[in-house]
Amino acid sequence: MTERKQHFDGDLDLHVSPTLSKDLSALFETKHPVPTEVDRMISDRIHGHFVGIKPMEGKRRRFHWVALWKVAAAAAVVIFAFSLDLTKKPEPVPHRRLALDGIRANDIDLNGRVDILDAFTLARQIENADHIATKWDMNGDGRVDHSDVDVVALAAVRLEKGVL
Amino acid sequence: MSKIFVIILTSVSVMVPVLARQSAQDEPVDGPKTRFSPLHIDIDSGHRSLAAYQFELKAATGRFKIVGVEGGRHKAFEEAPYYDPAALAKDRIIIAAFNTGRDLPKERTRIATVHLQIIGEVEPEYELKLIVAADKEGKEIPAKISYEKGESK
Repeated sequence: MTERKQHFDGDLDLHVSPTLSKDLSALFETKHPVPTEVDRMISDRIHGHFVGIKPMEGKRRRFHWVALWKVAAAAAVVIFAFSLDLTKKPEPVPHRRLALDGIRANDIDLNGRVDILDAFTLARQIENADHIATKWDMNGDGRVDHSDVDVVALAAVRLEKGVL
Repeated sequence: MSKIFVIILTSVSVMVPVLARQSAQDEPVDGPKTRFSPLHIDIDSGHRSLAAYQFELKAATGRFKIVGVEGGRHKAFEEAPYYDPAALAKDRIIIAAFNTGRDLPKERTRIATVHLQIIGEVEPEYELKLIVAADKEGKEIPAKISYEKGESK
């Protein structure tokens, strides 16, 4: 502190009168003088803290890191947004199969295949009020009627069978 | 800073998909030309009465989509026949119908009309196969199936 004071005093050249200097010294006289070693140690620590740190360097370094992260995040969002193929229309929902799935469509005329003649045979039996076996209750509603004929007929025209 | 960034990021993530969709909708669709045409199906059962039939139609050449099916000319088959709804918008269909009444057609009769959307300039050729035809007793009978293009009925 003493050295610094001398340094500043040398730079400024205040031309203080001896009387004023004496009065100021009396006014700010330290009652508990700080040892020179302590004063030097504090001074060195302060000096060591500020030496090597350029103004704004820490902020800039953190800014770079944050900016990089943000740019990467923005790029990821944009890439993700463009990767979504929104022009592709959703696949049409498959047509309901009129409750055919899970319902047995049997070969009623026992000719080895399910075709319209099975439905025709069942329809004729129903209309003629012949004895109708309950096994032809295709839709499981407890009755053998035209709705069962429809089940057989629709089974006959299903595309999955393949004929040609 | 961070609030502005979040706002910009949110705006981008919302606007980009919207703009992408809009640009896709604005693009002119230069697909192949399409037209609609009926295809009339006839069965000739000779002197036997026709009580039931089943046939399959599919494309031999050209491209088309099936858009609808309607019944035939004779009263016995004027109602829409059975077909798999999954065949709509495809180029293959199996069609069938029967009638248990006594008033049944003989000779050549129109049994159905299939409405088609023909895609492209090429006139399609059709493959038609009669799977079965039967008389009023449910017995299979020989018959010929044919088609006729155009608007005539």
